[in-house]
Amino acid sequence: MTAFLALLRRDLHVAVRTAPLVLGTLTQPVLVVLVFGNLLPRLGLVAGNFGTVMMPGLMAITMMMAGVQGILMPLSADLAGNREIDERLLAPITSLGVACEKVLAGALQAAWAGLVCLPLMMFLMHEVGGSSLHPRWLLLLPVALVCGLLSAAFGLNLGTRVEPRYAGLLFPILLGPMMLFGCAYFPWSSLASLGPLRYLLLINPLAFISEALRMAVTPEIPHMPLPLLLGGLFGFTVLLAWLGARSFERRTIL
Amino acid sequence: MSILVVDTLAKTYPGRRKIPPVEAVRGISFTVEAGEFFGLLGPNGAGKSTTLGCITTLVRPTSGRILVDGIDVVKDPAGVKQRIAVVPQNRNLDRDLTVREVLTYHARYFGLAAAEREARADRLLAEMQLQDKAASKPLTLSGGMQQRLMIARALMHDPKVLLLDEPTTGLDPQARRTLWDTLRELHRRGLTLILTTHYMEEADRLCQRLAIVDHGQVLTLDTPIALKKSLPGGEILDLWVKAAEPLEPRLSALDGVNRIEAVARDGKEAGAADDGGERLRLFVDPKDGLLDRVLQSVRAAGADVQHVSLNPPSLEDVYIHLTGKELRE
Repeated sequence: MTAFLALLRRDLHVAVRTAPLVLGTLTQPVLVVLVFGNLLPRLGLVAGNFGTVMMPGLMAITMMMAGVQGILMPLSADLAGNREIDERLLAPITSLGVACEKVLAGALQAAWAGLVCLPLMMFLMHEVGGSSLHPRWLLLLPVALVCGLLSAAFGLNLGTRVEPRYAGLLFPILLGPMMLFGCAYFPWSSLASLGPLRYLLLINPLAFISEALRMAVTPEIPHMPLPLLLGGLFGFTVLLAWLGARSFERRTIL
Repeated sequence: MSILVVDTLAKTYPGRRKIPPVEAVRGISFTVEAGEFFGLLGPNGAGKSTTLGCITTLVRPTSGRILVDGIDVVKDPAGVKQRIAVVPQNRNLDRDLTVREVLTYHARYFGLAAAEREARADRLLAEMQLQDKAASKPLTLSGGMQQRLMIARALMHDPKVLLLDEPTTGLDPQARRTLWDTLRELHRRGLTLILTTHYMEEADRLCQRLAIVDHGQVLTLDTPIALKKSLPGGEILDLWVKAAEPLEPRLSALDGVNRIEAVARDGKEAGAADDGGERLRLFVDPKDGLLDRVLQSVRAAGADVQHVSLNPPSLEDVYIHLTGKELRE
């Protein structure tokens, strides 16, 4: 446990030192809110409540990107070349323990990024029609943490399975489509007209992050049924964490 | 009780598509006593680093058993890691921390209290002459300094055994000598050291006992002096010659020549040198006029002598005797 906490401390220490990198993940969603939640509604080009619909989704995107980035970049550097990861694996802790620590560190960064971008987005949309938000702050904290864990577990898989030279392709091929179809810009419940096709969107873990945040941030907008939401959220978190830890172990203990 | 027991250790790296499995270690056994300076000597690819990896829990043995201070590395890796420290071949210093933080965070991983941590960091920075660099990033240091920092880091949690994987590879001669002094000093203080190297001189100067390994097996294990004494036939006279006919029959008939071996180089037939000449290794009793008699005999056969050397046996000669080839650096 001592080693676990010390490793966590080290990762958070480095994360704070390299904060500009994580802040970078905030720029895109916040600017999207500025355009789609403030500018376009003022011009009458989109409905005023579009901002309200997509705000939890953009928070979800921010968190997923922060979680992925919080693990993917440092981990692929640690595993490559000089294998800096070996030093941490020589701490008195199992490699599974190191993997769990990585996920928790990534989750905290993701949760932090999400909680920072929310008030920022609320401020940008302030005074635009139909966008008055009443987040359930108490619910938001645990939801943000679980969503962070899911994001980081996803990042652990990317970090251990994707070769660094292909990392540049991740965004256009995987993360981009995930964001578009991750129920970020539309609530899942509004897809009833798609029929059974809408269940296809549930292979995307981001859908559950968006819907969970929708539940916590915009209670007035309907979210997917709670059993489905919780099942997907925890199911994906456990599955991805398990797969990621296995892959981490394979990459680290030869 | 031995501080380290390696018992018929084997490791096969599983193959993948188009990559066949690699048998890196095939049944290595040895023990190291507390306070000993032990060496694993062998060429690249001999299985030294894999053996070290298994001892340090970063490589999972295929079979065999390793006990560190009585603790099984497979059953209780965390317990083993508490007792050992590693200076790896790669300079795996934490690039995101400062030199001082590299030491203090390492101590945190091992649960050292704050006061102890800071005191040790101060002491080791001074010992390794890194005080001026405490606030620098590790990657800005020279190779020798990085190596010293890795040793300082390894010593932070007061290990019982220090394992070093080819620690002087890539260092300039000056830095290498400084490192040797450091290691000798650590040994003098009672630390158990285990070193892998492919430098004969390094093994000869530092290690109390040596295992010579090749192809994943221990070829021989003894003190450097005993290993050199084990070579039959006295001093060694190497001849690089270009000859039309085999010289062995003539030379072995000479008084004072005990034995003759042809020496191979990597990838070449025994005896064939780079330039069409061959290298013959004569084990001789260096009596009066022996060199004259050898040279006359070679010339009488119409052969051209390119180079001659006469030396007492070295570890390299032991290695050549065991494997029939040179250990190329």
